[in-house]
Amino acid sequence: MKHDKHLTLGIETSCDETAVSVVADGREVLSNIISSQISIHTEFGGVVPEIASRRHLENINDVIDAALSEADVTLEDIDLIGVTYGPGLVGALLIGVAAAKSLAYACDIPLIGVNHMHGHIAANYLEHPDLEPPFMALVVSGGHTNIVNVPDYNRCEKIGGTRDDAAGEAFDKVARVIGLGYPGGPKVDKAAREGNRDAIDFKRVYLEPGSYDFSFSGLKTQALNYLNTEKQAGREINVNDVAASFQEAVVEVIADKAVNAALEFGQKRIVLAGGVASNTRLRELISEKAAAHGIDVLRPSPILCTDNGAMIASAAYYAYRAGERSGYDLDAVPGLEF
Amino acid sequence: MNILALETTGRYGSAAVINDEGMVWCADSVNEMNHLTDIISISDKAISLAGITKKDLTHVAASVGPGSFTGIRIGVTTARTLGQALGIPCIGVSSLEAMAYRVLEDASRNNADIVVPIINARRHQTYAGSWNVIFAMDAGILSLTELHEEKQYMIEELLGQLKETGSVIYFTGDGIDAYESIIRETLPQGSYILAGEDLRYQHAGAVAERALKYARAGRTVAYDDLMPEYMRLAEAEMRLKEGTLSDKIRRTIK
Ligand SMILES: Nc1ncnc2c1ncn2[C@@H]1O[C@H](COP(=O)(O)OP(=O)(O)OP(=O)(O)O)[C@@H](O)[C@H]1O
Ligand SMILES: [Mg+2]
Repeated sequence: MKHDKHLTLGIETSCDETAVSVVADGREVLSNIISSQISIHTEFGGVVPEIASRRHLENINDVIDAALSEADVTLEDIDLIGVTYGPGLVGALLIGVAAAKSLAYACDIPLIGVNHMHGHIAANYLEHPDLEPPFMALVVSGGHTNIVNVPDYNRCEKIGGTRDDAAGEAFDKVARVIGLGYPGGPKVDKAAREGNRDAIDFKRVYLEPGSYDFSFSGLKTQALNYLNTEKQAGREINVNDVAASFQEAVVEVIADKAVNAALEFGQKRIVLAGGVASNTRLRELISEKAAAHGIDVLRPSPILCTDNGAMIASAAYYAYRAGERSGYDLDAVPGLEF
Repeated sequence: MNILALETTGRYGSAAVINDEGMVWCADSVNEMNHLTDIISISDKAISLAGITKKDLTHVAASVGPGSFTGIRIGVTTARTLGQALGIPCIGVSSLEAMAYRVLEDASRNNADIVVPIINARRHQTYAGSWNVIFAMDAGILSLTELHEEKQYMIEELLGQLKETGSVIYFTGDGIDAYESIIRETLPQGSYILAGEDLRYQHAGAVAERALKYARAGRTVAYDDLMPEYMRLAEAEMRLKEGTLSDKIRRTIK
């Protein structure tokens, strides 16, 4: 407690960001330190789990210190420790979990293990001080593409998910195929702004009628086939056009399904979460489609869309208020379900 | 002085507390490779067995490797963060060195000249080192001095170097479980001793004893300077160096 505010320290190390944050009363971000490894992994063309784990270990304690000092608090002021315990890379997750448990034990602070995906949704509580459940959430990230009904703070009901590649994964794969490199999402987004989204007819995969599931793995093959055909015909490839057309195929399906889900469940709000929620065209299209039905679309700012400790702190805070606690035997669960 | 020592580089994790007089209290994990789940409870148990509280700790030590990469990370991260939260310094101890000291008395009793801890790193690879057993007659004190440096050895290469010494060798570590038949084929009978299973594996008690020595010698570090000793680059780093980085090693985000 400091100045009568409940303080949560949130720790996130599920993939390639070592991130720690201090959040007051579950809503107010006092500090949000993110030490990214992107430049390291770029050298390898993707996240290398063993290297990510090594860097997390070297960084974690300094990032904790930085988060405390930027928030102008000490460990004694902290009332709750929240930490991502899954899903993610096991070697990366366990650094955060080991650190969180040690802090909780040494300073006698309650501990809460947070599902990373619930954290992504909670990022919206930080961005929108008045937002409260119920709402429909669309979680689109590097590893996940989920439509989730959120009836209250501590319930996340997944009503649809990807059957193969996640949306972010599709962006990353296609970006590599067309030579844009890693990380693919932001690069495709940028290139697409200069391209024609009707140039190439990428298939929209809606699956069975009424399904809220996704399938994006065919898009990479389609991109590869297109590039081959063009090459053989001796035609020059317009990367911007490929990016724009591919992107449109992904975001159109996502936007349609999210809006349909909100309508079916009677939700007046769609809340976006995850790295792909930063995508310019997705935001534009889903807002358009939702507005036609009187549905609001909310999203966190880009810094809260990517992995961060603040979203974990917020999710931990609401779990704590509902009476949840984790023990010192908290384990990392790489394949944690929604 | 009250030092908490963690050893999670082997199959079973353990924690120990050692005091000024060298008295040691230990707690062991009963489940294999359960380091992350058990680390706090075994630490807490060792602390209460010692009759102190966590606030009475003066140092946190960890076995920094070599050994299981995952285990190394759990022990080192826990030691670092306990040091950070309790405001006390850390001590890094080599897993191999602690293993060598763990068997020192037994080695001397068996008239061994050299102690060799071997950690199995699969496919004939090991992490190992060797130490000469020194007995100071006048003081009656046993100690070790390094003979072959701690590094990665192919088991055949290590045994070749040891054979040349013509000395009696005392082996310890889970490398025995993996390479016992190769040892038997390479070294003449009677020229080596294998540690019994009660002493063969990593244990926090031995780490605590080394840590006490280090603390007395002022060999402590700040929590964010405690570093793991993997003794091996990540596979992707090796491939990148060799220029053989393949798509198998590269992974997209997940
Ligand atoms: N502007 C953008 N357009 C499209 N995709 C984007 C954009 N910005 C980021 N991405 C994608 O978002 C993903 C990263 O998001 P995030 O950090 O939420 O995922 P993650 O944490 O790796 O995965 P998860 O949260 O599922 O474990 C990457 O695949 C990246 O390419
Ligand atoms: Mg994420």
